Amino acid sequence: MNPMNYVYLSAVLFSIGAAGVLLRRNAIVVFMCVELMLNACNLAFVTFSRMEGNLDGQVIAFFVMVVAAAEVVVGLAIIVTIVRTRRSASVDGANLLKY
Amino acid sequence: MNSYVPILVLGALSLGFAVFSIAAGHLTGPRRFNRAKLDAYECGIEPTPQPVGGGRFPVKYYLTAMLFIIFDIEIVFLYPWAVSFDALGMFGLVEMGLFILTLLVVYAYVWRRGGLEWD
Amino acid sequence: MNTGLTLAAEFETPSVEYRLLAPMLIVFGVAVAGVLLEAFMPRPFRHETQLGLAVAGLLAAFASVVMLAGDYSVAASGSVAVDGPALFLQGAILLMAIPGVLATAERKVDVGGVFAPAGSSTPGSPAERLLVAEKITQTEVFPLLMFAIGGMLLFPASNDLLTMFVALEVLSLPLYLLCGLARRRRLLSQEASLKYFLLGAYSSAFFLYGVALLYGYAGTVRLSGIAEAVSSEAGNETLLLTGTALLTVGLLFKVGAAPFHSWTPDVYQGAPTPITGFMAACTKVAAFGALLRVLYVGVGGLAWEWEPVIWGIAILTMGVGSVLALTQTDIKRMLAYSSIAHAGFILTGLVGTDAVGADGELLGVSSVLFYLVTYGFSTIGAFAVVTLVRDAAGEATHLSQWAGLARRSPVIAVVFTFFLAAFAGIPLTSGFTAKFAVFSAAWAGDARVLVIIGVIMSAVAAFFYFRVIVLMFFSAPAPDGPSVVVPSPLTTVAIAIGAAVTLLLGVFPTYVLELAGLASQFVR
Repeated sequence: MNPMNYVYLSAVLFSIGAAGVLLRRNAIVVFMCVELMLNACNLAFVTFSRMEGNLDGQVIAFFVMVVAAAEVVVGLAIIVTIVRTRRSASVDGANLLKY
Repeated sequence: MNSYVPILVLGALSLGFAVFSIAAGHLTGPRRFNRAKLDAYECGIEPTPQPVGGGRFPVKYYLTAMLFIIFDIEIVFLYPWAVSFDALGMFGLVEMGLFILTLLVVYAYVWRRGGLEWD
Repeated sequence: MNTGLTLAAEFETPSVEYRLLAPMLIVFGVAVAGVLLEAFMPRPFRHETQLGLAVAGLLAAFASVVMLAGDYSVAASGSVAVDGPALFLQGAILLMAIPGVLATAERKVDVGGVFAPAGSSTPGSPAERLLVAEKITQTEVFPLLMFAIGGMLLFPASNDLLTMFVALEVLSLPLYLLCGLARRRRLLSQEASLKYFLLGAYSSAFFLYGVALLYGYAGTVRLSGIAEAVSSEAGNETLLLTGTALLTVGLLFKVGAAPFHSWTPDVYQGAPTPITGFMAACTKVAAFGALLRVLYVGVGGLAWEWEPVIWGIAILTMGVGSVLALTQTDIKRMLAYSSIAHAGFILTGLVGTDAVGADGELLGVSSVLFYLVTYGFSTIGAFAVVTLVRDAAGEATHLSQWAGLARRSPVIAVVFTFFLAAFAGIPLTSGFTAKFAVFSAAWAGDARVLVIIGVIMSAVAAFFYFRVIVLMFFSAPAPDGPSVVVPSPLTTVAIAIGAAVTLLLGVFPTYVLELAGLASQFVR
């Protein structure tokens, strides 16, 4: 199978995540969409790694996973604080800062 | 410059399509509102009743989950190191020792600040 | 395509040059030590110890940057470049971080400091009131700041895109948290934190997908490898162009350039003010450093393709920043739009790729380096002044509350006027020399239209700075207006450092300009 198809799949996943960030209203779901984007990147890295014949891409995927986990922790901490304050995780609710 | 022409054409097409479909929907579609349209879509049936406010569970689960993720994921660095332990030798051992030491500092912090206590 | 066997044969043990990485290692070491202090030191001693440790660490790191000067090479198996721009920016970040940290540590202006006693406590809850009554000071901000500074040191020095991505996250994650910890106006602060986090994570995903595509193009994430692939015109051009575009989006988000600026005003307004100053100065320096390295070293062979884009973005950024700043009624928001406008001016200098000075220095790089230093110090000083104008609810940031400030505190009004004059680019302030440098670099790089637009935009921008000055000096103060608090020496020193550098670089810019010129060559 042509490995380029995996790159197309990763582009599709990335676009779904990017659209999700813009369209969804719940902070947790927005955040899950960002994670989907990061994992789409991982798929692209691993595929290119196989196509190029070197292991760099796979090592990068490890680093991305760790960074994503750190991001999850910071993000969840922020979102949980907001939920406890406002009793809602909607990104539309956070509208005190504008113009 | 030629390599940009397809991008421009695609951009124009997608813009046109977006404008067309929004305008067409606006002009031709009937406007009938009912409650079902405002509900979350769940396979075409009435959504299952949820607890009031979506249901809550203790925030402690999040804390534990966060701590678990952050300590658990660091293991991905240990596997490649273990596989190439012979080739990396003393250098790898020292670097990995420093890495684990940093994690231990964080662990000590979590423990001292009460992150591991359930109550 | 069995890769495992071929790779085992060419395995080479990686190396870490601790001496070359000393500035970053010192800062990260101090950060880790700070975490340990938080765990084991009794609370009453923490604040002073953490502050002393942080400042000592920054000074030691700066000393090691100075010792490395002139000794250019790559470290850590080629993933970190220790060269002129990297060392210059590292030195700048460390020097700016010192007033930044001092202003952050202020405890006299607001009893207990600018941060909430515990970030996790719900605003207005009995638990929070108890903590406030006990006058508990948040000290975890010091390790967080040091981690952010460490990431900022690594960001402009990263010689491969993976290191750059990790540095980006290391500098961003602590900043997301610091934004949400303000003592006053907790809801605004938490909202700023959420927005910054979601948009920051979104942009770093774009950055990462750009890295993935460039890896697919060149087979390596090393900047020099990508440059080689570009010059040999091997590989798939679509991957290269799309990858570069996505990567640039991620970086332009961090510098706050339009159309990726929408987070800037919200975050700058909501974050605790000393953090805003620190973030505005140091993040911008680090992110422009990384942008310079990617555009000049990585895809320098593609300059013909990206220069027009940066052109457009520079014009848009200057326009959006200058025009929208006119409509602001909040001083922090106004400074945020001013920071967007400044990002546009800096991008102007970046366009002068083929401008070479008399001694062979790259004018595009050296003017950007110089501009970053001047802008950073003025910004930290200006935001530190904002923390001093207060009423019962905390900082009085609405512009109408600043009316007639000169009658309440002539000194503060004069100092703030000086910073605003520097932002506007009035002669005898550092802002003038910096604007002159970037515009002449762009002029030498044949971007004349851009320079003319830049000059017009700085005139527009000057208008809203002068509106504030007129408001402070020639309006009658409101009867229940805010008062100007006399701060502890910490904030005073921070403001003094900002003002002194702004004046020095305005009157005697030669030395730093020459230094920036000497430091304008990248190691490849």
